[in-house]
This record gives sequence, C-alpha cells and structure tokens, in this order.
Amino acid sequence: MLPRRSPIASRIKIIFVDTIKDAVTKVIQQAKSLKDCKYADIRIGIDERKYACAEDGKTRSAGENTPISFGIRVLAGEVSAWGYYGQELGTTESTPKSIYRKLTSGINSAYARAIANARKKAEFRVIAPSLTEVRLARIDIHNDTIHAVFDEDPRNIPSKDITALSTKISHDMRSVSPNIQYTYVDIHTGIHRELFCSTEGACIDQAYTLTQGTIAVVAQKTGGIPETYYDTLGDLRGWEVVKGKNVYQQSLTEFALLRTRETLELIDAEFLPATSEPVVVVTNPHFNALLVHEIIGHPTEIDRALKLETAYAGRSWLLRDLHDNELGKQIASPLITAYSDPTINGYGHYKYDAEGTPAQRVNLIEDGILKGFMNSREHAAILDQPPNGSMRATEPYSVPLVRMTNTVFANGNISPSEIIAEVKDGYYIVNHRIPSISESRENFRISAQKVYRIEDGHITTLYRQGGITSDSKDFLMNIDAVGNDFQIFPIPNCGKGQPMQTMRVGNGGPTLRSKARLAGHQ
Amino acid sequence: MITIEELRNCIHNGLDYIKQQKDVADAEIFASWNEHITVRMNYTSDIPCNGIHEPKSTQTSGIGLFVVFHTGKQTKVAYGSVSQNLTPKGISEAFQKAKKNIIHDPDFISLPVPAGKPLLEKYHDPAVMEISDEAIVDLGWQGLQGALTEYSQQQFTESIIIGGDITIMKERMAIVNTKGIDDFDESTILTTNITSMIEKDKVKGTGWNTSTHISDFNPEEAGRESARSAVKTIGGERISSGTYTVILGRQPVTDLFSNIIIPAVSLSSINASDTPFLKKLGKKIASELLNVYDDGTIRGAVGSKKITCEGIPTGKTGLIYNGLLVGFLANNYLARKLENNLASFIPRNGFRYHTGGRSYAIQPRICPTNIVIEGKEEVDYQALLSKVHNGIYIGRIWYTYPINGLAAGDFTSTIVADSYLIKDGKIDKPLKPNTVRINNNIADILQNIIAVSKDKKQTTVWGSEEVVLAPEIAVEGVKLDNISGFII
Repeated sequence: MLPRRSPIASRIKIIFVDTIKDAVTKVIQQAKSLKDCKYADIRIGIDERKYACAEDGKTRSAGENTPISFGIRVLAGEVSAWGYYGQELGTTESTPKSIYRKLTSGINSAYARAIANARKKAEFRVIAPSLTEVRLARIDIHNDTIHAVFDEDPRNIPSKDITALSTKISHDMRSVSPNIQYTYVDIHTGIHRELFCSTEGACIDQAYTLTQGTIAVVAQKTGGIPETYYDTLGDLRGWEVVKGKNVYQQSLTEFALLRTRETLELIDAEFLPATSEPVVVVTNPHFNALLVHEIIGHPTEIDRALKLETAYAGRSWLLRDLHDNELGKQIASPLITAYSDPTINGYGHYKYDAEGTPAQRVNLIEDGILKGFMNSREHAAILDQPPNGSMRATEPYSVPLVRMTNTVFANGNISPSEIIAEVKDGYYIVNHRIPSISESRENFRISAQKVYRIEDGHITTLYRQGGITSDSKDFLMNIDAVGNDFQIFPIPNCGKGQPMQTMRVGNGGPTLRSKARLAGHQ
Repeated sequence: MITIEELRNCIHNGLDYIKQQKDVADAEIFASWNEHITVRMNYTSDIPCNGIHEPKSTQTSGIGLFVVFHTGKQTKVAYGSVSQNLTPKGISEAFQKAKKNIIHDPDFISLPVPAGKPLLEKYHDPAVMEISDEAIVDLGWQGLQGALTEYSQQQFTESIIIGGDITIMKERMAIVNTKGIDDFDESTILTTNITSMIEKDKVKGTGWNTSTHISDFNPEEAGRESARSAVKTIGGERISSGTYTVILGRQPVTDLFSNIIIPAVSLSSINASDTPFLKKLGKKIASELLNVYDDGTIRGAVGSKKITCEGIPTGKTGLIYNGLLVGFLANNYLARKLENNLASFIPRNGFRYHTGGRSYAIQPRICPTNIVIEGKEEVDYQALLSKVHNGIYIGRIWYTYPINGLAAGDFTSTIVADSYLIKDGKIDKPLKPNTVRINNNIADILQNIIAVSKDKKQTTVWGSEEVVLAPEIAVEGVKLDNISGFII
C-alpha cells in the first residue's frame, strides 16, 4: 500500500546532525574494542542545497536536495594499515537507532579491510622492507561547533527565485549579440554540515555556506572559430554572493554580462602568435590564481611529494626524495612569498580539516626559499613534523586527501599600472583559462582569456587564444615585480585522487611580471 | 546489496502510483544500486609506505523519477530523487520532490520509446558481486607483487615507486516509463592501471588490465608489465624541438580520444556550439584510413552495457568512417532536440554515470561505451614502424587538454613514459621522460594519420568513463617541443 503523500517537512535537514550526534559519538568509541584497532574516525555530513541551471534563456533543471552520507577510516592490525568504507544514507535511516546500525556495519567493513591489509603488509615486509605500520602524528583533541556564515540564509531563498535568476541571466547573455551562439548559467546555494568523531575523543561539528554561479558563453562570427569561456563566481557565504558580495564585487548578472562582452570582443581579435624565446609577460591576479595552483599548490601537497599520486596527477618537482629536495633552497625570485591559509576567507576556508586538525597558515615559500608542504597526520609522522591541517574530502563518503586551501602568492607593493608602465615590449596575460602541466609540475602551458601587447608601457593590441609556457622554476626565478592588488578567486573544480574527487579551493595573488614563451593557436 | 528483483518491484509499484497522480502525463522511474571499490597501491622503496594504501568502497542506491505534467496549456517537467529508499515511501517522496522542482523546458519533446531488443544479456560475473573484503585487498597486493617480483628479478630494489589501483564496479539498475520501456541491467567491471618507476634512472612504465570477469583479471601481469616497461626505457635521450613522424601508442591514442575527440563528437558539444566539428557532418575530418565507432555490445569489453540508463538497447554508433564524420553520440533529450530534416540521431549513449556507477541522482548525460578505432587497412607492428622509418614512438602522454577550448581544436600534453626513438624502421634508444611537450591541433593529427595497427587493447585513462579499444596509430607532422626535465 503506497502512502498518499509524504510531507516535504519529513525530509532530512542539516539540523538532523543534532539528533544523531550521541549515536555517532557512541558508535565510534565501540571501534576501540575491536582487536588491534589503533584508530578510527567517522565523518557524517548533510548538504541542504538548492540549484537551477539554464541554457540560452531556457530553464534546464532546478531543484532542492539534501544528500547525506558517511565515511569511515579504520587503522588496525599488528602492522597497522588502513581500511575505509563509505555510503550514502536516506530517509529510511533517519533515526539515531538506524544510523547506529549503519555505522556499525560500516566500521566492521572498514575494520575487515584494514585487518586483511595489515596481514598482507606483514607478509610482504620480507621482500619490501619500506612497508611500515601507519603512525599518526599527535594533535590536540577538540570538541567544537562551527556555525555557517551568511547574511541571507540559502534555505530561505525560494527555488523559483533561483530558477528565474539563472534563466534571466542566460537570456540576457544571449541577447547581447547575434554572434553569441550559446549561454549557460548554473547557480547553487546551500549549507553543508559535517560531524567528525574519532576514537581519540574528537567531536567537531562544522557547517559552511556555499553559493556559486558558473557561466559559460560561446561567441562566433559566421565561418569563424568559436570563442568559448567559462568562469565561476562564488564564496562560502549566503545568497548575498550573487548580489555582489564576492571577490569581483559584481552581481552574478553583471559578472555574466561582462564575460559575455569580453568573449564577443575576442572574436574580432587576431590569434596570438607563439614565440620560440621567452618574452616579458605581466600576469594578472586571475591568471595567477591558476598559476599558483598548478606550479606551487599541487607540488607542495605532501602526498604528491611523497609519490602517492605518481600513477594519477604526478609527482612534485620540489622533492626527489627525503634527503635530496628543494627544502631550504631558492626556487623563486626573492620577491616571491607563497602560502596556504584556510583561516582566511576564500573557497579553501575551514576551521578544522577532515582529521580534526586545526586549520593554520602553512608558509610554502618565503622570499623565494621553499619552506614547507601541506600535510596530513600520517605524512607528518613520516617527516617528523607537526600536522598542519590540510586533509579534506569532497564528500563525507570520500577518503580525505591532502588538499590546497587558500593557496596564494603573497601581496607585493607596486601598483599594477606601474608594473605595466615599466615594460617597453611585452605582453599582458589576463584571466586564466585551461592548464596543462608536466608530470612533476616542472613545466606548464596555461592559456589565458585575453592577451594584450604592451608597447612602451601602454596596453595596445588584443589577441585571442593565447597563453604562456615555461619551466616552472625559470618563471618563478625571473619574477622581477610583484603587485599590490592581491585577490583570492574561487577555483571550484580541482581534481585529485582515485576515484577523482573534485574539490573547491581558493587561489590567487597579485599581478606578477616575469618571462615566458607565448603559446598560441596551432 | 540490493537485488534486481527489488529494483524492478520498486519501479513497477512506483509507476502504478505515479500514473494515478493528478496532471501526470508521462513518467519514467530509474532505480539503481552500485558499489564502487578501489584498492589504491602506493609502494616507495625509499620512503616508509603502506604498499596498499586505501582499500575502500562507496555504496549508493536510490530512485530517480522524471515526470511530465500537463498543467493548463503548458507541458512541464520535473525530476526528483531519493537515496537509499526503494520503498513506496521513497517513491512518494521522490514524487513530492519532483513536484517541487517543476520547470517549463520548451526543448523537452518526449520520453524515450522502446527501440528494439538488447543484444547483450547475462554478461556480468556473479562472483564479482559477491567478492569479499579480503579478496579485494588481495587483488591489490597481487598487482604490487607483479611489479616487485619483476624489479627484483632484474636486480632493481632501490628508488622504486609503484602506484595505481584495482577498481571494481558492481552496477544494477532497472527502468520503466509510460512509453513502454521496462528493462533492467546488471554489470561488473574490473580494471587495474599500474604505474611504476625507477626514480633514480628517471624512468616510468605502465601496465594495465581490464575484464568483466574475475577469472580473466590479472593485476599481477599488469604490475610486471609496468616494471618491464620502466626497465626498458633506462638511458633515455632528449630530442630537439621540431616536427616528427610518430607512433601514438595505445595509451596516448586513448588519452587523445577520451579528452579531445570523443567530447567533440558528442551532441552535448554540438548543442553548446563547442566543437571543431560543428556543421561537419558528412564531411572529411580525418585521414581516409580512420574508422571510429562506439559499440556498447561487445562481450567482455568493460564499457559494454545491455541497455542505456534511458532503457534503450546499446548498439553500434558510427562516428568516423573512412575519414568522414558520420555521426554523434546522443541521449534521448538532445537527439530529439537537435534532429532535423537532414540529421537524426539514435540515443544509444544516455547514461547516468556519477560518483562510481549508474546514479539515480542525475538525469542522463551523453557518455561513450566502448570506443573502437580501426584502420581502413590495418598493418602489423613491424609495418607500422617501417612506415614511420625515422621518428618517435610515444607510449604515454599526460595532462592532455584542449588548451584553447574544444572548439579551437588546439591541445597540449607531455610525454611521460614508455617512449622511444625510431630509427630505420626499428625501435632504437628510449626517449627521456618528461622532456617533450606536444603542441598540436587535433584536426591536423586526424588528417595526418598514415597507418593504424591491427592489434588493439582495451585501454582507459585517469578520470575518463569510456574504454577505448585502442590500436597504435602512426601520424606525420607532429610538433614536439623540448622542455625542462631539469628537476626529476
């Protein structure tokens, strides 16, 4: 017999975390009684979100969703090894009792994998002596609650308003010119709340708000090559983000129309000719967001440096091995300082990471010298360093990985206009587009939305489909000017891990001047 | 674990319920259960490590409900989904959600209608469905053992890195709609990709293996293959920047197809005007030697499915024939939206792949199944080398992206492993990894193909959903740039 109706109010919401906190705390403590269980933690999270998307002024989809899932890590066995388990949950598990049952079953699976893994590890140590039991560097144990920050609560924004806004913006973008061939707008807003409990006694209840608008535009003259561009505006805040409280200080409508007009302008521009030798380039903060992401951020994730990503996203040009590496060495111009800081505002903001380690600023490069790596408890123990709180997972059911936070070039003290005015002959590289980085991030090619010629200190000709390519160290060492226009931009789609997790991070910096070869349309 | 019977009961009872609801004109119910298991390897001989770093899994199940409402003069559509709840209450909840998510989409024409009988039945492995925690961990160690043994036999014990994974997918789905579609599917996939290095010698090798059945799955051999390949490339040389005739090995062929060519022959790229093949249907886009099609019915190929996530039987979709663009990958929504007097599309590629399996949570996108690449006249490996005579064999590329947007066709990538110089029609010295960047336009690569090999192997690359039955392909006029390699 089917029920006649199921009230929306019965659905799980983020306040559900309050009702299950005791059950989660209790179940994780029971893991301690499992034989040879050294450590276990649970992350259980709920995402209360609304979304809409539109193409060419037509609504494509809209809705509200509240996914809930959990992930369990167990460290067990004589030669301790990891076992993991993750699962989505639904309304049938909406009581503390049923949650307790599901989590118990998840712990048992993760434990069985850890024990099987530890047994094999012990067996293989004979032929592979570097196999070592996992140790976790010590951290202070916290019990804390962090509330989501917003001016306008996403839960109070009617879905029809989100739908109407995405449809209107994509319509307005399309109306800019007959040469606009395609427009797309995606908006979502919501609150994510996640509970972290460990056998060490941690219980951290963190919530954050996320509002994001992504736009895509394609412009084409008859018979010409289409010019495409997409970009994202967003922040860990409420609905006020789409009204202008964001890094661009533009409403989503203004942002979308600006990007549309810029794309349109480009279809009349010449293709950028490539050069075989380096030229002077001035890169703007938006471009530098992707640059710092690729050539400093990823290589300073310690799991990558310790070769764990060799089969996927590659190694790090900063660490050949534990004894032969770039730590303490000059890898960039003395003008360059770079750091990763989850305590400041941006897409990489949080108070505790996915292991319950308090967030903190990690100095990566100081005055051109490599100072450190973002790490996890396990990798901190290998390096005999304190953990610095850089582990995150995209979803509660995903395994945490070392991730960039707000990873940036530090601010300088020269105005961007002065930096450009000093250039006799060079190019101004504006806004990032698409990267291609070599295996250890030692070389890059990154395309830009726009490239301008600089002649005698003045910005002149606009070019399309260009970018720059360089060895990473050469580019960093050749930096001879750092601007005072520091900004952090939202990067919503950083891929890492297997299966690949797509993470939001903050990246940015000020205007920089260096040397690189120009790359153009082939 | 949820059975096919439970999924079918859920959708049949659900459809009866939905049909009785006010203003419902049509409806489609999709229910699925998936388990995605990954066992990640990480062995480093000189750094403390776990060997098998992460044996992990994610389970998902739920209902996705698409409803067409007739309200007044307008047709409106809506999608609602619920997770982990295949009960009548779950159906009701999905329907309430859908009603709340209702929109007017003027481009929606109709739900899919039945289209023939599936060619592939009973192709999954029940043993994989029942695999134990211990057995999945063991598969990972088998892969590691293969590489370690090979290295040890060749006297390499230091500066070794072995990474990669065993991935096991278990998928069950059932679908029903008011247009007459009523079917189900069950599949199992096993893949392993292993990368190993002798870091001090700056060499990397790759090995991989795929199967639908555990009895044919051999991670140990993939591990051995990766080690053999790394050892073979010790002592690599640099080359100078220039234009070369090359052989693209199976992994580079797969990388180029997965990241550039296949996205460009999807109707979603046509819909967004973001492809170099806009208005090119029926026109020459490649060398006449090249044939490419998508085929979801190949028994034993890991991209195969009995039906799509829209309930349409999988089949063969021609994409490039003798160098002419002859078709696009399609789902039901875009096939109907974009069909016209000159072109129609069979929606054989509407899938809901998302976070490891056929997800109830999303509406169908366009995803390839098995991409098969063939030559009009295929040659053996030796003839391929002879055709190139002097050039480069490229065995593995990395980070391949359409650098100026897909529509422009420009792409760039770096050569990271498994590569050699070709001299006088023979494999000569190894190419030093990480010292060459490829900068080209995909239109030129396709046009400049001079030979395609007979032998093919199922190949996958990181982050892509499809499987490519990949040959080795010889191409002339490929621009290669000498880059750093100064650190590693």
